[in-house]
Amino acid sequence: MSFSALIREFMEKGRSNSCPVIDMHQHMGPFQGIYFPNPSPEDMIRTMNRCGVKMGVFCSHAALINPEANIEMAEVVKRYPDRFRAYWSINPTYPERIEKEINRFSKTEGFVGFKFLSDYHKYPITGPRYKPVLDYAEDHDLLVLMHTWGRSPYDSPVLVEKLAEKYHRIKFLMGHSGYGEWEKSIQVARNYPNVYLELTAAYAVNGVIEWMVKEAGSEKILFGTDLPWFDPHYGIGCVLFSKITDEDRCNILHRNAERLLQPFL
Amino acid sequence: MKFFDCNESFGRSIIRPIKFAETAKDLLKEMDFYGIDEALVFHSRQRDDSPVVGNEILLNEIEGFERLHGMFAILPPQTEELGSLETILERMRAKNIRAFRAFPSEHKYLMTKTALGSLYELMVERNIPLFISVTESCGGISGWYLIERILSDAPDLTLVVTEHGSWGHDRFFRPLIEKYENLYLDISRYELDGGISDFCANYGAERLLFGTSFPQWNPGGPILMLAQADITSKEREMIASGNLLRILGRVRL
Repeated sequence: MSFSALIREFMEKGRSNSCPVIDMHQHMGPFQGIYFPNPSPEDMIRTMNRCGVKMGVFCSHAALINPEANIEMAEVVKRYPDRFRAYWSINPTYPERIEKEINRFSKTEGFVGFKFLSDYHKYPITGPRYKPVLDYAEDHDLLVLMHTWGRSPYDSPVLVEKLAEKYHRIKFLMGHSGYGEWEKSIQVARNYPNVYLELTAAYAVNGVIEWMVKEAGSEKILFGTDLPWFDPHYGIGCVLFSKITDEDRCNILHRNAERLLQPFL
Repeated sequence: MKFFDCNESFGRSIIRPIKFAETAKDLLKEMDFYGIDEALVFHSRQRDDSPVVGNEILLNEIEGFERLHGMFAILPPQTEELGSLETILERMRAKNIRAFRAFPSEHKYLMTKTALGSLYELMVERNIPLFISVTESCGGISGWYLIERILSDAPDLTLVVTEHGSWGHDRFFRPLIEKYENLYLDISRYELDGGISDFCANYGAERLLFGTSFPQWNPGGPILMLAQADITSKEREMIASGNLLRILGRVRL
């Protein structure tokens, strides 16, 4: 057994000074189908400290259900400006709210863009209700984190490709990397400069990180955990113990995210 | 810290995973990369083919590899495909096989007392653990309903549930952990933030086993998660290897 310097550092200390982690896919607060030991912002910061995660970009569970809760996230970012940024949730099942949400977003600090949870909202990312949001994000160079799942009628990588053909300035983060439809997801990330593979849950699939690095490049991969769902050490361990270089690991764990977040820090 | 993985497999599967180890030698190379010392293993043919074929393939493949410990796939004794219970036991004794694994989805049998009662009795009498993935199903029941069914039929059985999934299973398994003292969980997919430390605080570290579910899942996850879990060194060592060594050590073949 001969671990790389980075693996040794994480195994011994649980974190790395040279490779701080940025978590691009977090939530916050309790949720329907799961018991969370650590759901509050303070709990999450404790976990982030333990794992060497310097910043997290989150969308609260409450906001994913009720758009009214979006504004509560601004308070969290205001309280912990060095640790959190947020995504503004768009729930397309309340279409009458969309313009109002864009307006509220435009007047609120601490947000990097929008979050779409189309599989749960049962509405396709290519549907017309999202259009004003996407147009606004395009005009303002924002990030859009989308839950994406293989062969979903709502947010498969095929549908992401349709958006990427049209919008070139939005940074599309394919949450869960279009889980299961790996080949197509990797192809979309490779072909479109503004589409990124985000690793939450996907990291656990053995070999998929090596595949992504080989075909799309480590510059197109972002780290995420769904915190408070998943222990960041689990996902970090999957990245570290993939057969890629320490340079690739650092790109995935923080460098790519730093580049994307630069305008929002 | 010694890592003794309770849940690895090798060989070509009916559906090719992205990565796999074809032979025992290949598996050992993978284990070296991850820093895993020993493993309790099955061959994919034990699941994807008949156990009659698969159990023998496993024995041949792991012969001479001391870091690999085999497990036998079970079938209902009534068809006698694996011979009598005494024959199975003799074979296990000869090859030092100290665990069973059930694949009821693939092998099509009921996990009830009616079907497996005599086998359950043998396991309890001789402290032989049974491993089963919570993704298995049989006769219309699956998941934690199936696990509770097994344990209600054989409450003293040493049962190790693997791959319990990352989407929040604590509400399912905690009542069973409280009721059945010989129920164990592998941590291959216990990704819940704070899950291991919260579990240990409530139930102790005795009931968790280090597992990776290689080749389907990336072993790096459970390795770093356990190495850095907010628990004592003693608890960490119990989960990493101590608990499995204890379970296998008390088997009487």
